[in-house]
Amino acid sequence: MTEDTKKSAFQFHGNWVDFFKIAIVNLLLSIITLGIYRFWATTREREYLWSETEFIDERIEWTGTGMELFIGAIMVSILLVLPISILSFVVQGAMIQDNPKLAITIIIGLSLLIYYLIGVAYFRALRYRLGRTYWRGIRGGSDEPGFKYGLSYIWKNVLGVIPIYLLVPWAMISLWNERWNHMSFGAHKFHSNADWQDLMKRYMLFYLLPFLGVLAGIYIDISSAASGEISTGESTALGAIGLLLILFYIALPLIALMFYSKYFRVAVRGLRLHKLEFDFKARSKDWILLFIGNIALVVFTLGLGYIMLPYRNWKFFVTHMEAYGEVNLDELTQSETTRSKHGEGLLDAFDVGAI
Amino acid sequence: MANEVVDPFFSVSHFDGKTAVRRKVEIQTIGKNFFLLENERRHGPFAFEYMHFVSQTKGNISYGYEDIDGWRLTLSGPIPEDLKPLLPATRTYGSLIDKLGLGKASVAFIAASAAALAVIITAPQWLAPIIPQSIENNLGDALVGDFGGRICSTPEGKAALSKLTNSLDANPDDLQVEVVNIDMLNAVALPGGKVFLFNGLIQQAESVDEVAGVLGHEIGHVRERHVMQGLLRQLGLSLILGGLNENVGGVFSSALSNSYGRDAEREADSHSIEVLNEANISPIATKGFFNKLSEMTNEENGISSVTSYMLSHPLSSERAAKFDASFDKERDYRPALTKDEWAAITSMCANDKDVKSGFGFDFGEE
Repeated sequence: MTEDTKKSAFQFHGNWVDFFKIAIVNLLLSIITLGIYRFWATTREREYLWSETEFIDERIEWTGTGMELFIGAIMVSILLVLPISILSFVVQGAMIQDNPKLAITIIIGLSLLIYYLIGVAYFRALRYRLGRTYWRGIRGGSDEPGFKYGLSYIWKNVLGVIPIYLLVPWAMISLWNERWNHMSFGAHKFHSNADWQDLMKRYMLFYLLPFLGVLAGIYIDISSAASGEISTGESTALGAIGLLLILFYIALPLIALMFYSKYFRVAVRGLRLHKLEFDFKARSKDWILLFIGNIALVVFTLGLGYIMLPYRNWKFFVTHMEAYGEVNLDELTQSETTRSKHGEGLLDAFDVGAI
Repeated sequence: MANEVVDPFFSVSHFDGKTAVRRKVEIQTIGKNFFLLENERRHGPFAFEYMHFVSQTKGNISYGYEDIDGWRLTLSGPIPEDLKPLLPATRTYGSLIDKLGLGKASVAFIAASAAALAVIITAPQWLAPIIPQSIENNLGDALVGDFGGRICSTPEGKAALSKLTNSLDANPDDLQVEVVNIDMLNAVALPGGKVFLFNGLIQQAESVDEVAGVLGHEIGHVRERHVMQGLLRQLGLSLILGGLNENVGGVFSSALSNSYGRDAEREADSHSIEVLNEANISPIATKGFFNKLSEMTNEENGISSVTSYMLSHPLSSERAAKFDASFDKERDYRPALTKDEWAAITSMCANDKDVKSGFGFDFGEE
């Protein structure tokens, strides 16, 4: 039984009213439980979003539970937040006692540890999400716990930054490939061989913009000085400040989005699962519209619109995802990967997103 | 396009969890067990009691089966009446809320949250006295040590200081009162019964009676276990609020520690007034000193912003008035120390050759 996948493989059937009904109750329950309900809230939202997402001819299914997210968060509290709180007392003590070396050592050590754990968290969150996602009774997962990935996360990011940040795209793509090459769905392993060099042109745009901005500022200064109009000194300064503001609040975020758009397209295109290839169709314009929409939604609802962002982001993701190739349903057998019993505690603790 | 429209007819599909092949089946019920019939094949037997609810979308309910990963039974359309009682319960908000109902559960949550908040807010108060003094002492030594070598010491100064301490406290052995060589108008109570009077405070005091009042106040913090409470509060808040959004947590925690701080200051003031009274030392000088401090605190916030478990002293006219009120005109107060003893304290830092100076939060500088 082979299925042809020429039409769009991913469909989203949800509507915002249904999601809003879930999200608003979630918000109220989270408030009256001092935030503890949010684990169940996340689960309910995912159950809805997943169940309205169709791949080829069958909807996917989220089977994670609020309890496992809750336990994950408790474990992180005990194993991580508590020791860090205690160490912060030690740092204070070391500073009082004039022992800056000890204080600095602890701070650097802690920072490294946290950076490492952020890497581990990215990996484990992806693994958790694949492990709890079913399609036709088959799930994904990974046999790697992600501890090695944490080390890669440190050294690749450091290496990316060393040549004046020029290898950041390499670090991003290389980490994406490493992460996905350890993931599987059913009996099939993901293969990811995205090429970071495809990203460089877009990255240089982002990279060089601040220099261009400074050059433009200098040009304005020089030209006004050359014209000899001393009285315009103030307005020139204002112009330079305005230019800087435009640069940092409008141009930089826009170009960052353009870069991210390219990054995500290149990354997804590098991904394969058995005979399936993937694509992500959103262009820079789509990303920019998504973000402007998100910001407007939050601002014009005085913040309440925040609860709809998971819906908008997921819909954006699904409607632009595309897959080509074929799925042999007989060959797609159950995943044999082990699954951890708890959820995304680490990722939750560091407040970073997955995928 | 699967399941877009609610199916008017009852139908059942099945994934066995081994492959992704979808099987159209019929349920053959035998008592509390069932088989799934698919063309010429029969799957099972299965028991209804091992089934659990997985998901529900428009017109479809999916169930899983205990130990079989990915096993699914999806019912579409109207479920036959005879099958309904055999199926496990569905889940909407979470099993607890579903059992109670959303309304009742909300009331229960609000009550539980209020109780939890009350416990969290008061816990340090009743927890601190339970923690043995020896643990707090070790903690104090580990955290504070010798205050970076800034403790001033001369034999005469030490003797005068302990005479002052003895007159203000019945068990001075578990206190460590020191003058530290920092030019700030401040005094702190630290873990382990350590009370540090800053040299700036000593130099600007007009009489030893002023210092006696401040010392009584700091000893009050020690005796009421405020320091340990502060430590516990900082630890507990970081743990509990760590789960919350950082901004929300930050606002919440500073509001809590502020309201707590005012209560603690009031208790320490009362303690000070009490011990001054017992030692027959006039409280009126302390009042003057507090007035001076309150002018200063606007400019200089001391070190309170650096470490939140150090108790600093925001002052108000209301607090000065309390000292004023405890003053008895008729009474024959005695000076807290003799002139020579007081001079030994004020000159202690200048006469101590080994003491370090300044407050070196700026790294590497002595």
